[in-house]
Amino acid sequence: MLDVKIRRKLPGFSLDISFSINQEILSILGPSGSGKTMSLQCIAGIVRPDEGYIALNGKVLFDSNKGLNLSTQMRKIGFIFHNYALFPHLTVDENVAYGISHLPRIEVTRKVSRLLDSMNISGLGKRFPWQLSSGQQQRVAIARALAPDPELLLLDEPFSALDTVIKERLEFDLAALQRSYKGNMLFVTHDLAQGYKLGSKMAIYNSGSIVQFDHKDKVITAPATSVAARLVGFKNLYEGFIAETNEKYSIVKIGDLEQNFKVITQNGVKLNINQKVIVGIRPENVRIVEHPGENTFPCTADQIVEGVSTTNFLLQINPGSIIKNYIECILLKSDAPFVANNQTCYAHLPPEHLVIITG
Amino acid sequence: MAETYLSPLWISLKTVMTATAITFFLGIAVARWMARYSGKLKNLIDGLFLLPLVLPPTVVGLGLLLLLGKHGPIGQLLLHIGTTIVFSWPATVISAVVVSFPLMYMTSRGAFEQVESDIENAARTLGAGEWRVFWTVTMPLAWPGVAAGTVLAFARALGEFGATVMLAGNIHGKTATIPIAIYFAVQAGDMKQALVLVAIVLVISLALLFTMSYWKTRASLFKNIIRRRESVN
Repeated sequence: MLDVKIRRKLPGFSLDISFSINQEILSILGPSGSGKTMSLQCIAGIVRPDEGYIALNGKVLFDSNKGLNLSTQMRKIGFIFHNYALFPHLTVDENVAYGISHLPRIEVTRKVSRLLDSMNISGLGKRFPWQLSSGQQQRVAIARALAPDPELLLLDEPFSALDTVIKERLEFDLAALQRSYKGNMLFVTHDLAQGYKLGSKMAIYNSGSIVQFDHKDKVITAPATSVAARLVGFKNLYEGFIAETNEKYSIVKIGDLEQNFKVITQNGVKLNINQKVIVGIRPENVRIVEHPGENTFPCTADQIVEGVSTTNFLLQINPGSIIKNYIECILLKSDAPFVANNQTCYAHLPPEHLVIITG
Repeated sequence: MAETYLSPLWISLKTVMTATAITFFLGIAVARWMARYSGKLKNLIDGLFLLPLVLPPTVVGLGLLLLLGKHGPIGQLLLHIGTTIVFSWPATVISAVVVSFPLMYMTSRGAFEQVESDIENAARTLGAGEWRVFWTVTMPLAWPGVAAGTVLAFARALGEFGATVMLAGNIHGKTATIPIAIYFAVQAGDMKQALVLVAIVLVISLALLFTMSYWKTRASLFKNIIRRRESVN
């Protein structure tokens, strides 16, 4: 159980967050400079919050009202730094043993070799960090953090410096680690896919505060605000008014697209006629069709970029209008129709993929 | 006869060793503190610590004389407990410490600031207390710089003349270090004594230069390790 409610003010930035998790993995997602790393530093005791409260498994780590601030050493929190922060003058064995040096030597040796084994780096114990690849260094950093059996594990962008292949391999390893590790885990990332894969809950950060905190599936299907929506991949967002609403669907009048759109109503969401809302859709859910119809509007292809397995389209809405509005669309190559630059086509927004954001 | 040469050598070695030992620990402690300190007075304090480096040594010596002399504030205090420092052997040590301190302080402070704070924080999250973090992480990583600072401080202390002659004077067998003995030998026209002392200084200085270059290769070796570590990332 981890309870966090802290504030910290800096010139031009203030952190004000509060959340609580219970034996689970929280992915913290947000743009750089939104206070993700500082949150971890506050929880680990590296940085002192101005005010607030932090408790871990019933033990109070920080309480500004009581003037209590446990030192980093006493918090029993494992921290994996984004640049690994291995001790360059110590071997892999010595790095991993650093946090358990108070144990009897035989036990240290046994534990170190067990940890290296579980991270698939046994045999590297006598090497120095600079003799390892970055993926191996990352594994050493994880083994070192796990050695003292921390009650909470903090990972600060653990994959930011790795290339794709190593990253994917480590994601599997980390998923395995999460199944075996019984404590709480906080995982900072700016990569939505990674945060979704490795977390069970998600906290969306923006300029020092949490804009949404929920189960990961809830966060990616029903973002609370337009900021959260943008961060979880709803790149197409349009303002509109509710023209009609019932239990099954709503009709939203979108000004920029100059027409009405049908949206499947989400469970438990109450909307009012004339309520101002934002409608969002992921680029991968937009379809390009040949003929007009429901939820469909004309546009011209402004930019087309072909990728390995998908093609990205930037379509200009309402060709001929003075204000330029765009919709982004990503299609599997096999699904992508042939559209030439500046050719007119129709974009279709499937009602089940449109999301109404009221925040 | 040999006593004429051995006495300055012995006094110099005693003074330099003691002064370097004091400067070593004092410099490290102050450098460590200043590397972390971020208060408003940082620049002022920093300037104060570096002042003996830029002032002429005789000015430093005069300042010390005014401070520690019979009418100086500290000198008066010492008189109360029945002792005096001026024109005694400890005065040579004090002069050497004051003039060599800035070099030790400056070099090790730079070395401490180069140590990544994340690496020290990693040690803290693993349960290491501040003392252990310093001796097992900070010091080993800053060691090339600290060692270079020590050698520089040693060299500066060995060559110290101006402040020492002001504060400790030229008392044979007591405060006459090699540089002072050379100066007064030349003044007295005893070129033979001066040249023998010069030869002794040359030997010590060459030994020092070798130590320096040894540490330099060690340091660049170490930097290569760090650089290779970074290039891997």
